[in-house]
Amino acid sequence: MNTLRLIYVFFRVSVLNETAYRVNFFVQLFQSILELGTALAGLAVIFSYTQSLGGWRPNEMLALVGVYFLVGGIISLVIQPGMAALIDSVRDGTLDFTLTKPEDAQLLVSIQRVAIWSLLDLLMGTGVLITALVLLGKSVGLGEAVQFIGMLLAGAVIVYSFWLILASLSFWFVRVENLLEIFQSMYQAGRWPISLYPGWLRFALTFIVPVAFATTVPAEALTGRLGGPTLLEAIGLAILLFAIARVIWRLGLRRYSGASA
Amino acid sequence: MTEPAIHLHELCKTYRVPERESGMGAALKSLFHRRMQDIKAVDRLTFDLSPGEIVGFLGPNGAGKTTTLKMLSGLLHPTGGEGTVLGSIPWKRERPFLRQITLVMGQRNQLVWDIPAADSFELNRVIYRLSSTDFRHTLNELTELLDLGPLLKKPVRNLSLGERMKCEIAAALLHRPQVVFLDEPTIGLDVTMQRRIRAFIAEYNRRSGATVLLTSHYMADVAALCKRVIVIHHGRLLFDGDLSALVQQFTAHKTIVVQLEDCHADLHTYGEVINCEDGRFTLRVPKAQTAHVTERLLADLPVIDLLVEDPPIEEVIDQVFTQEAA
Repeated sequence: MNTLRLIYVFFRVSVLNETAYRVNFFVQLFQSILELGTALAGLAVIFSYTQSLGGWRPNEMLALVGVYFLVGGIISLVIQPGMAALIDSVRDGTLDFTLTKPEDAQLLVSIQRVAIWSLLDLLMGTGVLITALVLLGKSVGLGEAVQFIGMLLAGAVIVYSFWLILASLSFWFVRVENLLEIFQSMYQAGRWPISLYPGWLRFALTFIVPVAFATTVPAEALTGRLGGPTLLEAIGLAILLFAIARVIWRLGLRRYSGASA
Repeated sequence: MTEPAIHLHELCKTYRVPERESGMGAALKSLFHRRMQDIKAVDRLTFDLSPGEIVGFLGPNGAGKTTTLKMLSGLLHPTGGEGTVLGSIPWKRERPFLRQITLVMGQRNQLVWDIPAADSFELNRVIYRLSSTDFRHTLNELTELLDLGPLLKKPVRNLSLGERMKCEIAAALLHRPQVVFLDEPTIGLDVTMQRRIRAFIAEYNRRSGATVLLTSHYMADVAALCKRVIVIHHGRLLFDGDLSALVQQFTAHKTIVVQLEDCHADLHTYGEVINCEDGRFTLRVPKAQTAHVTERLLADLPVIDLLVEDPPIEEVIDQVFTQEAA
């Protein structure tokens, strides 16, 4: 209950903070439209040559692009800003203020900054997704909808945990921004179905940098091609990674406070 | 005998830091192999603070003051010894403990830069789970004491350094902590603002009965607020007691200021002449001879006014540290 209130108040402060710079809104708008336009144009080009890409038909691919923007929106809305702020606060020592607060520090760090203009990506992604479903002429059954939302949540948890692990490395190595950059580039691979990639890359995108679970798997759930094993894998991985992230975060904090030194 | 608010026993903190020589070769070598060096930041520190005390915590840069404050506020684990604050072990970082303390660092800020302080206060209200009534009440009181009224609605980035510090302090006290750690709260502020903050700390202590441990480089802060001072150097306790006793213990001299009618008198036979301006002479004499020299001055010369003083506190502190180094 108090957690929800905290999230609300932090969100409110972030909104206030960002509206101080209205120019950012237009920059983000321009960037989002450009990115979405490029993605759609790419699809148009490809499907002018073929009717199916690795078993995905055009409108299913459109749904995947929708998911890609939706999840990308979630990442740049809350995950990326909070983790970037964490790295900064470890370096300049303002993490001290967070640690003297009587509240879970991981929670405070994770919700400390919200880049609200990224809601645009989220909205556009949802729009594309709905368009794709209409074009597919597919009525999404309750089971698929539940699966989709479940997989979207699992994907978000997986990505969040992964980012937290990377950002926690800043407790050991002060400069880790570059790792986050690498993730951003790898995430772009999620724009295409994971099955298109050669085996080694598919493995890497599934288990090393878990992009597959963030985009392909939710899209599969929606287009009714998700098997039971993948579903369980996604949930299992979400729980496992979250637990690992928590452990690494705590080890990092212990290092920060010199408990192990 | 009441339980101490803060209790330290043989508290130690040793940092392991990589040792590195300058130059390209050493930089490359350190990528693979690092020689570590132990630095004793805090070395067997023992003291108690009673509830409601304001104590000045003094020492030159790097003496271990901030390290000690960080251990007491739960940010750092000690490498040895014991410490309790309000009966809790700080570095366990238990929530009931954290709710009762606060840490203000003059060199860092916790307020969100682009929004008004009032909105940042709201964050702290939720984090500390304060009821609206308590929050209003405390905020009104702090607003009145610190004269925050016109500042609360402006974005923090538009405030002056002093205004920002006042807001930082208010943010740190909204939950009415019983123990307040102040690390250089007046650093970089002008004299008027320093005095303002000082008066506030004294008043806050009087009203709330909070225990205050204060570090400052401005001896005026310490002289105005703290009856008792704790001096550390190289992490070790040098002195713990009344500020006046510190002056007694560490100064071998007193200053005598005499105002004479004769501007050209030669006083060097009475003591070391530090300054002379329009017949106003400042002499430094060994403490034991103060009475004797004063007597002679009054007997020998046409004295208009005479004043015996302890040397300024800055000078005393300086002496404490140089004596230690020698």
